[in-house]
Amino acid sequence: MKPTRALAIVLVALLFTWIGQVAVGYLQVGKLEPVLNEETSLTNPPAPSGLAQTGARVFASEGCLECHSLSVRGPAGSADLTRGWGPRRSVPRDYLFREPALIGFARIGPDLSDVGERIKEPNDLMMHLLNPKKLRSTSTCPPHPWLFELKLAGPKNENDSMPVTAADWKQVVPSYKAKALVAYLQSLNLGYPLPEAPLK
Amino acid sequence: MNRSQSSKSAVATQILIAGSIIWSLLGGGLQILANLQLLIPMLAYFQPTAVFGYGRLVPAATFLLTYGWIGSGLLGVLMILVPRFSGIPFRHNHVLTFGAIAWQLAILTGLTQILMTGGSGLLSLPFGRTVTLILLVSFLVLGTGITRGLGGTWKSGPILPRLYLLGGILAFPLGLGTAELLLRGGTAPGGVQIITQLVWHSFVHHLWLTPMALVLLFQLLPTLTGRPTTSLSLGLLSWGLFFTLGGWASNSLASQGPVPSWLQSAGVVAGVLLFVAALGNTVLFQPLLEGKMDEIRRNVALRFLSLGAWSYLVAYGWMMFLSIPGVRQNTAFTVAWNANQSVFLFSFLGSILAGSIYALLPVVRNLGWPSHSSLLWHFWCTALGVALTFSGYALGGVLQGLALNDPGVPLSTVASYLCPFLVVIIAGQALWIVGQLAFSSLLIATLLKLFPSTAPMAVFPSSRTSGADLAPVRH
Repeated sequence: MKPTRALAIVLVALLFTWIGQVAVGYLQVGKLEPVLNEETSLTNPPAPSGLAQTGARVFASEGCLECHSLSVRGPAGSADLTRGWGPRRSVPRDYLFREPALIGFARIGPDLSDVGERIKEPNDLMMHLLNPKKLRSTSTCPPHPWLFELKLAGPKNENDSMPVTAADWKQVVPSYKAKALVAYLQSLNLGYPLPEAPLK
Repeated sequence: MNRSQSSKSAVATQILIAGSIIWSLLGGGLQILANLQLLIPMLAYFQPTAVFGYGRLVPAATFLLTYGWIGSGLLGVLMILVPRFSGIPFRHNHVLTFGAIAWQLAILTGLTQILMTGGSGLLSLPFGRTVTLILLVSFLVLGTGITRGLGGTWKSGPILPRLYLLGGILAFPLGLGTAELLLRGGTAPGGVQIITQLVWHSFVHHLWLTPMALVLLFQLLPTLTGRPTTSLSLGLLSWGLFFTLGGWASNSLASQGPVPSWLQSAGVVAGVLLFVAALGNTVLFQPLLEGKMDEIRRNVALRFLSLGAWSYLVAYGWMMFLSIPGVRQNTAFTVAWNANQSVFLFSFLGSILAGSIYALLPVVRNLGWPSHSSLLWHFWCTALGVALTFSGYALGGVLQGLALNDPGVPLSTVASYLCPFLVVIIAGQALWIVGQLAFSSLLIATLLKLFPSTAPMAVFPSSRTSGADLAPVRH
């Protein structure tokens, strides 16, 4: 075999891989658009806030995906819906505004696609980040104390300080990263209908 | 080949191989730390910083083992091998040394980024843009050097190693460049980003690392056994299957969700056909090793290469098994996929890398290996360690999957099911590190020329009855 012929075959094979998957995939899911909800004049999926978008990056950098997935499967052959991880399965349109778009491939902990709907109280999410066992004693999730700051307590605690005791007259206050992460987790919900995945 | 040219390019080779061993020890250590936290979640409550958090240790360890240990090591041994089978020496050796240093710098920068500021969360692309850039520049230098060694005409010499090498060398920059552009260039919308991550994951494993390892198998097994490969057409068929379908295999990682179902089906088909290709290559390797048991026992390079050749089949067999839709429903999102990673990285690629270093490094350094007991420690710790890690992940993953699909089992109970398997996995990983320590002690002694032996290849003594047998055998 001539080297040039081998080179041509390899290049064609590699291009076939990219074009076959990414280009065809782009034609299929890359052109999807959000659906307008005429009652609320909002879009489905809803666009996340700027803080939530920052939170997506915190979520990625803290490695939450090493234990949590972001993809609910349908009823065929999986118990995702029965476990209450979402009201319906995830579809490509759900990821339109996700930047970076992540799905995760591990489930040491629960799927988080609908966590914003499951845990509505932001303080509960914040407490989970600080000390997961406070919220659920059986939780195996590691705490993230580095997302919180210790500040000297004044005559009155700051509004968002955590309801935990800290030594030396200090209070535990969530950092910007913690607030962003909680905003992101709250933005994760599948409680809206899509033409290809209606709510039942 | 001119001896001074050879010794100059050996600097780049030695940097790559020494770096590879350091990253393997560090990566293995981080992996154990991560699994310890999974086994004893309370440990996480004692660390005040994010650096050693589970979410950072796992991507850091995977990055070190993939790009640092295997990537760097395979490039290093290929730089020894390729000029020798083509007879074309490297030129501009200082540039190659720069490339080798740049690769280590990229790994160090990537590790620091992941541990200090966190990974990107992207599959097989956990590092930042800076690291991508350094990796691309370094690979451009090293890849160009190695490609020169392929020669302008292929009228003589081996065809299959050259074909795999050409494919592997083209796949890395093409894949990395495109993935970087689509994932961080803001050009791909959400769903396409997920497809792109899966394609890049396939590129790294099946179009870059596997072909580089196959180059070594196709070149070294016939050389060490003195037997030629029997069927070129079967080899070409397997090569064609690999490069046509290798980039599709990781789609089977997704189970429903945002990846279009036709792509998931294509992933299953690719998984099955890649196993067929692996079977085709194994059919070519098997006659080379048949009836050579004594030699495999004696020759440590051949021993590791044989382990790598059989692990190759097991790795692709296990991947195919996990891709089957009925199995995938249960094993998606479980640690059963880590079993695939452990047999793929530690047994298949790792054994071929070790075997190649044992076979080739003495050629460059004109030295043998000093300690028979360290060779034995390396082999048995690696083999047993990988066997324990693989079985722990595989059994634990299947049980985890069955429990996850039973809504009556609480999630905390599912996690507790994994504990006994984690003990086995950690024991396996610790054994593997002991083996790597034995190997690194040998390697340091070889690189520093701490002993006077001149055997060109590491060989076990045929009889172990006398102390004299412990000296390396001269060829």
